[in-house]
Amino acid sequence: MDSLAAPLEVMARPQLDLELRGIRKRYGDFTAVDGVSLQVEKGQFVCLLGPSGCGKTTTLRCVAGLEEPDDGGILIGGNEVTKDPPWQRDIAMMFQDFALFPHMTVAKQVGFGLEMLKKPKVGIAKRVEEVLKAFEISALADRKPGSLSGGQRQRVALARAMITEPRILLLDEPVGALDYSLRETVMLELKLLQQRTGISFIWVTHDQNEAFSLGDLVVVMNHAKIEQQGTAEEILRRPATAFVASFVQGNNVFRGRVTGTSPDVLQVETSAGRFYVPRPPDPAPMLGDAVSFSVRAEQITDAPSQRQANRLTARCTAVEYFGAVRRHIFERCDGEVLKYDQFGAHAARIVSGQTVQLGWQVEETVLHTGAPG
Amino acid sequence: MSTIRVRSPASYWLAVPAAAWMLGVVVVPIVLLVWVSLWGGRTFSPASPLTFDNYARFFANQTYIKLAGTTVMHTVMLMAVTGVLGYCIAYCLVMKVRSPGWRLALFLAFIIPFWTSTLIRAIAWVPFLGVNGVINQLLMSIGATRSPIEAFLYSKTGITMAQVSLYTMMAAGPVVYMLSSIAPQLREAAMTLKATPLTVFWRIVFPLTLPGVVIGQVLVFLNVMSDFATVATIGGNKHALLSNLVLLFYESSQIRAASVVAVLLMICMLVGVIIALRVVDVRRLGVER
Amino acid sequence: MIGWKGRSSLTAWVLGTLTVIFLAYQWLPIFTLGLLSFSGPTGGTTFPMNGTSFHWYQELWRASVMNDFKPPLLRSVLLAAACSATTIVLSVMAAQAMRGQFRGNGWFFYLMLLGIMAPGILVGFGFAILMRLMGVDLSWDTTTFLVQVSWTLPFGFLTMLAVFNRFDKRVEEAALTLGASRLSTFRRITLPLVLPGVIGAGLFGFSLSYDEYARSMFTTGPDATLPLAVMAQLDRQLTPEIYAVGTTTTLFSLIAVTLCTVAFWAMRRSTSLRRT
Repeated sequence: MDSLAAPLEVMARPQLDLELRGIRKRYGDFTAVDGVSLQVEKGQFVCLLGPSGCGKTTTLRCVAGLEEPDDGGILIGGNEVTKDPPWQRDIAMMFQDFALFPHMTVAKQVGFGLEMLKKPKVGIAKRVEEVLKAFEISALADRKPGSLSGGQRQRVALARAMITEPRILLLDEPVGALDYSLRETVMLELKLLQQRTGISFIWVTHDQNEAFSLGDLVVVMNHAKIEQQGTAEEILRRPATAFVASFVQGNNVFRGRVTGTSPDVLQVETSAGRFYVPRPPDPAPMLGDAVSFSVRAEQITDAPSQRQANRLTARCTAVEYFGAVRRHIFERCDGEVLKYDQFGAHAARIVSGQTVQLGWQVEETVLHTGAPG
Repeated sequence: MSTIRVRSPASYWLAVPAAAWMLGVVVVPIVLLVWVSLWGGRTFSPASPLTFDNYARFFANQTYIKLAGTTVMHTVMLMAVTGVLGYCIAYCLVMKVRSPGWRLALFLAFIIPFWTSTLIRAIAWVPFLGVNGVINQLLMSIGATRSPIEAFLYSKTGITMAQVSLYTMMAAGPVVYMLSSIAPQLREAAMTLKATPLTVFWRIVFPLTLPGVVIGQVLVFLNVMSDFATVATIGGNKHALLSNLVLLFYESSQIRAASVVAVLLMICMLVGVIIALRVVDVRRLGVER
Repeated sequence: MIGWKGRSSLTAWVLGTLTVIFLAYQWLPIFTLGLLSFSGPTGGTTFPMNGTSFHWYQELWRASVMNDFKPPLLRSVLLAAACSATTIVLSVMAAQAMRGQFRGNGWFFYLMLLGIMAPGILVGFGFAILMRLMGVDLSWDTTTFLVQVSWTLPFGFLTMLAVFNRFDKRVEEAALTLGASRLSTFRRITLPLVLPGVIGAGLFGFSLSYDEYARSMFTTGPDATLPLAVMAQLDRQLTPEIYAVGTTTTLFSLIAVTLCTVAFWAMRRSTSLRRT
């Protein structure tokens, strides 16, 4: 049995394509990245999500080697590369505005990476032809970037980055420069490409729809730190901090103090009233601690029964439609906004100006267990 | 929509005074030079028959042909020196100086002399280059030489030294402009595609600044070709280039001979500019719409 | 261990040293000129200075009949002022015309560029012959003025083109939608906003005309401008007095440059609405 244990242990730890160990980056007084640690498994699609200036792009640039972290370590494929220059790392990068070389034809541009690897000329030409064909841009081979459309540029940039078959592809807002109508198609194509090639993607974006629809692992960042990392489902269902809850659409965030505890439930006094939240496993908040919690807009009902122990009365100020969803905007008694979503046809319609009693179940309330953002 | 309607008569009339001025003072005299250089006969008058005699006389004289050769060689040498020096300085100022304060200070230190009189700056080299000049005093005090070197003032070396200080700015200016318009992402993209810094320079940065290099070289070429003042100030009467010859003939009232030299000078310059324009579109500098 | 950015700073050091050496090379003669202009009455045209004094500046002021720099200075300043004023008016007109994209504006642009490209010696010489054939007497305030404007105007024109390129057109559009006519919009909105640029173009023109030598040499009659007087004196005898003249005019130019820089700085502030 002992002889079997060792290989099992190796198999239990999947090979990591990328590991960040507490990297830090300062510019003068400004801390851009503050102790970010991350593990990316082989062939994983990771999305770094956060508002602008949260440090996600700087983190990506540290991985690329374009910035040198002041502290911490970076491992690519298990090798320490923290101080290595970009041209010695097994990565490729797609830039926000694609950064195509204006003086090179598409064919020259796409072959650039292979040329840098000192591959034989004939081989490069053949491979470029294949790649251009695969990305459906063969017709553009002799054109220069100046005459290409946004979508065409995106394909060229992708082909240029993918041709060297890197271990990791870094993408900095790769669809941000595209027309809205084009984005979804391109995103789907990229996802399929990633699954087919098994190359790890690290995708930086400020758009949560991109992150949640694409990422195997979503990493939410704010103020130079990671707030939460997990699958899209985890982040949507169980936001760890008030920041994540308010950044992700459809959450109602409450802040208050613990005024009572029981083995299962905490009582929290907020400016909007008194609410009950499930008590997390230890260490749970103590009496008097400041806490925050949230409830999703679709978990609320306008006809609370016995089961909905959390209740409040609010006035509806607006009704918005998102496809099949009717979203009601309420004004809480403390002046904050409360969102309540209804799906499909609903018997009793709430109209703007109406005052309604709303409620939700204690179990649907999520206490934020991470550090308060 | 702006304060002037596109293709309106007003826009046309606004351009007329400037166009007329330039035509009358620049274009007409230059065309006139070509005409005058072809005047034959004994008297200086528009009634003269047109011949190539003046040119024949110029090319019959070995000294003049040699002088033309010297002028071109001297200019090419200066283009090379100011080109390399100017590029290094431009690259340093744009790419290597990180602090904005220092960059501005160095940049101003670099361009301010350009705004002062070229003549005075040429004269300022005189106390440096003479037999008892600063350079010789310096060389003797550090023991590099026992007796003063006479090779500076009234010499080609001296002229070159002064002209390098006068014209490096012209070679560097357009390069500074082109360098600062290169997006940093382009260099970064090349690096993530496994290009080393040296390769990034030769494959990305240099090709993108080439228009600036060419424009700078054209400016140096035109200015050195026609710079008779520095040559006269520092070279004394001992050295002359083609442009000094124009002056020499003019002062001795040989207008037709002077015109011949002027026209030849013009042809040289035209050829230079045409070669340059084949490499680069001048309109890409600053006024692109 | 040093990262790659640290290693690339070696290039920075080499290039930086080269730049500093060149700056010294460029500035030392100018400083020396200034220093030697304060040498003693027995001082020569190079070191040692034989004491320090204002002797050569006093000489400059007293002036003998042979080398009086004051009238040429006055002429140069008047000429430069006239060129500067003409340049302002014509270049604003021409740049505004370019915005109107009149037929043939490409040719017009090249015509202006020709004024910069064409060497002074050719323009000056050609114009002098033209005047001789037309029987017009050469004089600093007529022929030289005409030629010098052909030199300062293209620079003013390019400056104004650059200024209008930076200019936010929407401001004009706003005024037009508020019922202002094109002319009053230009007068009330456009001109005040680009005014610092216009002043810059004017100072640029002043400095170019003030320092111009080649064009003046062929087209100025008996009364010389300052650069011509300096060159004539240099031909006769080199004395520290020339250094004194040089120092004075260089200081003069530096003041003009400073004003010009300030004007452009002010323009960038006034024409860019969006702060980065």
